[in-house]
Amino acid sequence: MTERALDRPTRHAMRASRWLAMIAALAGAAVAQPARAEVAVSCDILEIEARQGDKPSIDGELKPVEKRLKKPPLSSWNQFKLLSHSQKSLIKKKPEPIALKHGSATATLIEIVDKSQTRVAITMADDKGKQVVNNTSTVEAGDYVVLVHDLGNQGHLLLMTCR
Amino acid sequence: MPKPTRASSDLALMEHADGELTDPEIASRLARDPEAQAKVESIKQVGELVRGHLELSADAVPDARFAAMWRRVEDQIAPVPLGLWARLAAWFDHYRGHVITGVVSAGAVAVLAVMLRPATPDGGFRAARGAIDVRPVALRASPEIDELDTPGGSSTVINLDDEDGHAAVIWVSPADIVEGI
Repeated sequence: MTERALDRPTRHAMRASRWLAMIAALAGAAVAQPARAEVAVSCDILEIEARQGDKPSIDGELKPVEKRLKKPPLSSWNQFKLLSHSQKSLIKKKPEPIALKHGSATATLIEIVDKSQTRVAITMADDKGKQVVNNTSTVEAGDYVVLVHDLGNQGHLLLMTCR
Repeated sequence: MPKPTRASSDLALMEHADGELTDPEIASRLARDPEAQAKVESIKQVGELVRGHLELSADAVPDARFAAMWRRVEDQIAPVPLGLWARLAAWFDHYRGHVITGVVSAGAVAVLAVMLRPATPDGGFRAARGAIDVRPVALRASPEIDELDTPGGSSTVINLDDEDGHAAVIWVSPADIVEGI
């Protein structure tokens, strides 16, 4: 039976159901798209406590950076413990707080350079809220920026890589 | 052979049987002629038979069509609900099938959308597709320190390069080192 052959209210009902399905399809398509079309990069931040001890030890979760931790100047310590691991999406010019076990930190994506490098500003403060370092650096995607707060017998490390 | 009169013809008998002709001459003939009586009786029976067949044919119309016809009739004679909500409920009640079709379609689309949606690590923003390229290690430039401020301490920058890539180590030594974090 064609739609023309139906009575008027039935045609309205059929059209209403089609509209409902179409609206749901559009809504679904919107949901399937990225949340916003803003420029963003995904970053991993590792907070590490480093010490000099009798027996070397490195947490299993630090395997991807183990080689670097064994190289000077970081090899001045031989025990590395992962305190926290954060994954953040950095949006251009929006400071992103990073939860740390000790102190606090923020990371801000300044810009993307040559499609493969990130210019990121990182600040780190100690437990008392005193700023330790305020740094802006341009790093290739996949490479690391390592902030080391040397506290004598131990170190407070922040490793960040973005891609 | 005498020409048959109207009253004697079968056509007149048929009209009489159907009640379309009231002729006293036919009535008197029927009173004395059993054959004419039999013809009239037969005509009446055939008429009954045809009427009965037509009535049976009418009964054979599918019940669904009757139901649809009755629903339309009832819709036209039913009192219109006054409230907006009542009218809306009546509309949904009447077109339940279409509404269910629409809702099921919408649900299917929503499920597909959720299944196809890419996951984000922190439930928030997702890196824009193609926003940044990860180049092979050999093609990567060394990290550059654009700004560095270490209030109350001194800093040293060391570049670590290996087959895994580069790492810029910013070593901060406080002027007044207090042991422990």
